Amino acid sequence: MGQTRTAEFEEFAAARWSSLIHLARLLTGGDRHRAEDLVQEALVKLWFAWPKVADEAPEAYARKVMVRAAARSARRRWWGERPVEHLPDVAALGDVSTAVAERSRLESALARLPARQRAAVVLRYYQDLPEAQVARLLGCPVGTARSHAARGVARLRLLLADVIEPVG
Amino acid sequence: MDHFERQLAQLMRTTEERVSFDPRHRDRLHAGVRARRRTRAAQVGVGTLLAVGGLGLGLFLLPAGTDRVEPTAPRPGPASGPSSSEITGPSPTGEAPSPSWSPSFRPSFPGSTTSAPPATGDGATSTGTATSATSGVPQGPGGTSTSGTTDPTGTALSDPGTSAPPSGEISAPPSGTFGSG
Repeated sequence: MGQTRTAEFEEFAAARWSSLIHLARLLTGGDRHRAEDLVQEALVKLWFAWPKVADEAPEAYARKVMVRAAARSARRRWWGERPVEHLPDVAALGDVSTAVAERSRLESALARLPARQRAAVVLRYYQDLPEAQVARLLGCPVGTARSHAARGVARLRLLLADVIEPVG
Repeated sequence: MDHFERQLAQLMRTTEERVSFDPRHRDRLHAGVRARRRTRAAQVGVGTLLAVGGLGLGLFLLPAGTDRVEPTAPRPGPASGPSSSEITGPSPTGEAPSPSWSPSFRPSFPGSTTSAPPATGDGATSTGTATSATSGVPQGPGGTSTSGTTDPTGTALSDPGTSAPPSGEISAPPSGTFGSG
């Protein structure tokens, strides 16, 4: 890839990094390290496809790679984690706020869903994609994608009952 | 979309955390690109080796396979005329010819060039032939056995080496002529 293309790619990665990381965190149920791995994998694949997709929809390409990798992750038995002697730094108590608490609740609730249901819910409600596009990204029929999303939302309805107040 | 679903979508969007693209992310990305490039080069190399190896093996095994499927030569059909000199020797009955039946050992019989050896093998004919063959005595025109003179067709003692005996065309002599003499 030429210097111009490389600069374009790095500019795209820097601009979309935050939203890609957030999408990856939702897709992985709040696992920060897996989310970074997911974005990394998607961007590496995007690098090689950049000459073809740069002028079209590079973010959609990265999103597709991330969603399929996240849906595949349910079948993966080992994530390459190794035990270490010293634990990494943890967040201080003062960092906890209402937003962080809500995010933590949301991510822990998403983590309790199966991978494909989680991906369907995130694509449908966070990315606001129509069902047909969700099905295309997941690589399944529309009815299956609709079923995944409905079951995921029904489960979240139970798990997040105290976070999202019902309409009184 | 009901109230919960709207709230869920809003919660997903509002909890987004701003994360900057650090140099460590860039370095890690470049390292990942290099690793993937190496992996792809290795895959292409292995694929090329496998393709060349498979092609070579196929070409090596190809001639042997062609020999197996090659059609056989057509069988020679039966001779239709007495002039074909290739069909000589054993009688159609399957008897093994005796060495004493060679043309140099047995003079030809006058008037028997168009005749045929015994085509059918009943017991009398075979016995007579074997006797004359094993005796080793040349049989001249005058010294032939009585069967030769009594043969109405004159074909009984003809030389098998001088005429072709298509079995279906030339009838055998009457068996009684040999046995009676």
